[in-house]
Amino acid sequence: MIDLAIIGGGPAGQAAAEQAAAAGLSVAVFDEQPRPGGQIARQPPAGFTVPDWLAGRAYAEVRAQLARFEGLGGVAWHGGTAVAGLAAGADGFRLTVVTPDGAERVAARRVLVAAGCYDLPVPLPGWTLPGVMSAGAAQAFVKSQRIVPGGRFVLAGTHPLMLVVAAQIVESGGVVAAVMFDQPLGRCVARALADPLTIVRHAGLFVDAAAARRVLARAGVPVRFGRPLAAVEGSEAVAAARFADGSIMACDRVALCYGFVPQADLPRQAGATVRWQAVAGGWATAHDAWMETDRPGLFVAGETTGVGGAAIALCEGRLAGIGIARSLGRLDDAAAAGLARATRRRHARLSGFARMLAAIADPAEVLARVPPADTILCRCEDVTHAEIDAVLATATAPNAVKLATRCGMGVCQGRMCEGALLRRIAAADGTAPGAAGGFTARFPARLVPIDLLCGLDDVSAEAVAD
Amino acid sequence: MRIAGTERGAPFTLFVDGEEMAAFAGETIATAMLADGRAAMRRDRSGAPRGLFCNMGTCSECLVTLRGDGGARRVRACLTPAAPGLRVETGPAA
Repeated sequence: MIDLAIIGGGPAGQAAAEQAAAAGLSVAVFDEQPRPGGQIARQPPAGFTVPDWLAGRAYAEVRAQLARFEGLGGVAWHGGTAVAGLAAGADGFRLTVVTPDGAERVAARRVLVAAGCYDLPVPLPGWTLPGVMSAGAAQAFVKSQRIVPGGRFVLAGTHPLMLVVAAQIVESGGVVAAVMFDQPLGRCVARALADPLTIVRHAGLFVDAAAARRVLARAGVPVRFGRPLAAVEGSEAVAAARFADGSIMACDRVALCYGFVPQADLPRQAGATVRWQAVAGGWATAHDAWMETDRPGLFVAGETTGVGGAAIALCEGRLAGIGIARSLGRLDDAAAAGLARATRRRHARLSGFARMLAAIADPAEVLARVPPADTILCRCEDVTHAEIDAVLATATAPNAVKLATRCGMGVCQGRMCEGALLRRIAAADGTAPGAAGGFTARFPARLVPIDLLCGLDDVSAEAVAD
Repeated sequence: MRIAGTERGAPFTLFVDGEEMAAFAGETIATAMLADGRAAMRRDRSGAPRGLFCNMGTCSECLVTLRGDGGARRVRACLTPAAPGLRVETGPAA
């Protein structure tokens, strides 16, 4: 049995591994990507040479952390490995890990879920056409695989990250037709100015956004505000973006950028308490000051605890690593508190900026709009809003709607549709989204070929658990 | 479009729906397909084409079918490395 299994090789997982290894723990890190970095520092393949990779100042801290992590001894890196299951046992946890070649169980005394976040899915007409992707998807292609994954992009959404992604596409030689913010500029400015002290403390990040805008201005890319995307048009693939004011813009890619929601499958599977995240939704896992959940021995850090960005994730990873060493008796309370002090102060400072960014990017107005009845809400099972609404007349429990419509029963395990469904339920019965919980979290959290599962000697465990 | 200035792995070819397609070592199936102008990766229940959405293994929209001698397997194109001679299919799953 290893001391610590970390799920997620991004900034939070790396920082935790560093602290835990320093305290003498045996550590294994699992990630679906082949190399560490997470989405923020998603590395090119080992055989690529990329001059000036993520050279911008915004990436300096995560690159420094990554370099330290890759130099660590005593940490086992398991890239290309999905964690499909997490269950608490008598003296620790049992993970079900899957590679293309097989599945196996891993036993660990402590588990840290630092699984990051993903782009908030916003159903709208045409969003299932090939060529519609999340802004994060487009950005990851540029950072890691080194392609611009389309000919002519429209970026649409509410999150200022759009500016950065658009600038990265342009600097890579790609074409951006426009960056279209849903909300008016005045609202962004008002929400930023509501907290001037935070602007001063994090001035560097506003400078980065300004630099991205200069890149776009030089390339002649229009940045517009108050221009909600109404639909994506095309027959076999994206041909144009249509906006609420009736204007139509020709393009072959639409990248959506409305904010981010935590990856919550594994904490939910293990029975940890989660809370519906304000504004963008999704489930944030509850934790104490050492990042431990209410499932003793199960820790969380980074976006899993609520979306706050890479700098906060680094802080939380450090705190979790120290907390885990403390919980295993490798650090006494005083030593742990001393190691954590500066990180706690920094975390508190950064939280103000995260709140401001969330307020600027607030997708509430977007999420309150009801798309046309034939818009697909559940992408895996092709379930439309009309089919959902028909069932909501008689049943509003998430699992009941799932059983009646197959919404959430597909291979994404509800990650793409649960938020949209919970908002429809809330509108139907006058409650807050997530008030009545969500889908029951099921094994496996990731797609697993059944023949690989059948190779496990205790394969019936999942059937019993469910 | 492959970004200029990046040194890639060795070139090779694989097959998508029977047609030859170029790729470089280190690329995912999704990368090679998008660089080749192929956005459709699967068909939904109505037969409509669907393509990659999240590019990080979360949504499974980019499920393609790999045809091997022993049968077929559906994989996420965004996470699966392209390999010489691979036979990728985007039609309905077998």
